[in-house]
Amino acid sequence: MTTPAIEVRGLHRSYGTGAGAFEAVRGVDLSVEAGTITALLGTNGAGKTSTLEVVEGLAAASAGTVRVLGLDPVADRDAVRRRTAVLLQESGFSGDLTVRETLLQWAGTLTSPRPVEEVLGRLGLESRADVRVRALSGGEERRLDLACALLGRPEVLLLDEPTTGLDPESRRDVWELVRDLRHAGTTVLLTTHYLEEAEELADRLAIMHAGRIVREGTPAEVAAGHPSVIRLDEATAPAWLDDLGARRVVRGGTVTLETDDLQATLTTLLVRAEREGVRLDGLEARAATLESVFLAIADQPADRSPEGALA
Amino acid sequence: MSTPALSVPRTARLARWNAVLMTRNRLALVYGVVVPLLPLLLLLSGDRGDAGPGAAAITTTVLMAALFPVFYNVLSQFVTRRDELVLKRMRTGEARDLELLVALALPGAVVTLVVSLLAVPLAMALGQDAPLNLLVYVAGVLVATVMFAAFAFWTAAWTRNAEAAQMTSLPVIFLALAGQFSIALPASAQRWADLTPGAALTDLVRSAWFGLPESGTTRTLDLAATWGEAAGPLLVLVAWTVLAVGIAARSLHWEPRV
Repeated sequence: MTTPAIEVRGLHRSYGTGAGAFEAVRGVDLSVEAGTITALLGTNGAGKTSTLEVVEGLAAASAGTVRVLGLDPVADRDAVRRRTAVLLQESGFSGDLTVRETLLQWAGTLTSPRPVEEVLGRLGLESRADVRVRALSGGEERRLDLACALLGRPEVLLLDEPTTGLDPESRRDVWELVRDLRHAGTTVLLTTHYLEEAEELADRLAIMHAGRIVREGTPAEVAAGHPSVIRLDEATAPAWLDDLGARRVVRGGTVTLETDDLQATLTTLLVRAEREGVRLDGLEARAATLESVFLAIADQPADRSPEGALA
Repeated sequence: MSTPALSVPRTARLARWNAVLMTRNRLALVYGVVVPLLPLLLLLSGDRGDAGPGAAAITTTVLMAALFPVFYNVLSQFVTRRDELVLKRMRTGEARDLELLVALALPGAVVTLVVSLLAVPLAMALGQDAPLNLLVYVAGVLVATVMFAAFAFWTAAWTRNAEAAQMTSLPVIFLALAGQFSIALPASAQRWADLTPGAALTDLVRSAWFGLPESGTTRTLDLAATWGEAAGPLLVLVAWTVLAVGIAARSLHWEPRV
């Protein structure tokens, strides 16, 4: 096995000292293989950004080690920074510079930047090149952020909530670009609180809760063992639903059935409805999703010890 | 690792864009370029070639040239860039902290140096003597530039936003101008006022350029004597610079204050 592009071992990070100290990261282990996308998933305050900042070399760990491309992000700062790019949670640009000037400014800090025009084209920013950043939409500003990240030809890309606040179309554009980069061999570690984003992009995901990674694996592995769900409107739900042997929850006019064997339960339901001539309004069925896993984890108290991690 | 603490080409490229940004903000342009040029008009007052008003005009010019393009300008540029999260983003890349700071101070520092040097032919054209000891004069300007830049970074650390800089800049501005008013103080207090950075810069310019002793408006020093006369104020400036750099390094804050 090759060395992972990113390796985090026993990471702790605390804010403040003494009685007011708060430990945001409480022993995180994480490896990201080269050329893959890993999503760090969690609710706000789970410790995702605090973890990422140490990987980025922007903050020091209280304990534990971090290696990026086999190097220490703090001690080997210059060597690491030449090969990585970071997208912060919030964009930071001078509103008085144009899009092209912003890229030229950033290119001026890099050892071997791509041509600015090439990056403008790749992000579809050519027509906005001479517009002041102040006048950009949120989606355009995020594209400019990504353009800066691309300028340095990074081997490792660290994205902190890359699509928070974006409209669905901009979000898809960002996903497309991240997938393209992975295809070209870039390693990506991203944080997100969007389940859809993690499912859509990540080869592996790690769910963080209260400073720890509580579940880890491929999306399918993480969802495995969690029930599939069937939903239908309560108004037209037949009385015999309990006979199906699935756990039944009624909420907001919708009946939700949880089952470990979606096909069998669904077949029984549909065959009986057909036979009795019952119309099931609002019928929908879904295989086990991250959502149920995520919600189950988010509901747990913060000081619970970690368990259930998949190797 | 023996890499230098600062890459000169990268710092110069960063500084270039900071200069562009300075010209895009009308207020920054006025403070950074126009204000430091105004005191040169004082050279037009008084009798042509009179060392007294000449020294007053030049010391005011140098003080304003260090105070506004460097101190006030760097303070507001740092706070603006910090609050726009530009500095936070810049720090994720290859540029080092020192490069970002130097690049931020450089456009203003160039203005200070250009104005201070421009004052030489201008003063001479208006009948003043050429500077007696140009080297000490330039050295004083350079040390003052570093000192005011460091004071700017320190002040930025406790400045909430660019608007608040109008208030938070006052302590350092007062410190810089205290020397100008020392005449009005009782003799016992004057000794202390002389130790302020503004007074030291004034004394240095008076002796290095005009050959004037600590008090008085007639030239009594020759070139050889200017070295000794300027050593005191230069030492005071260096001491303030060491202090300013020390407190700035300790208080640097790269993210917006909440």
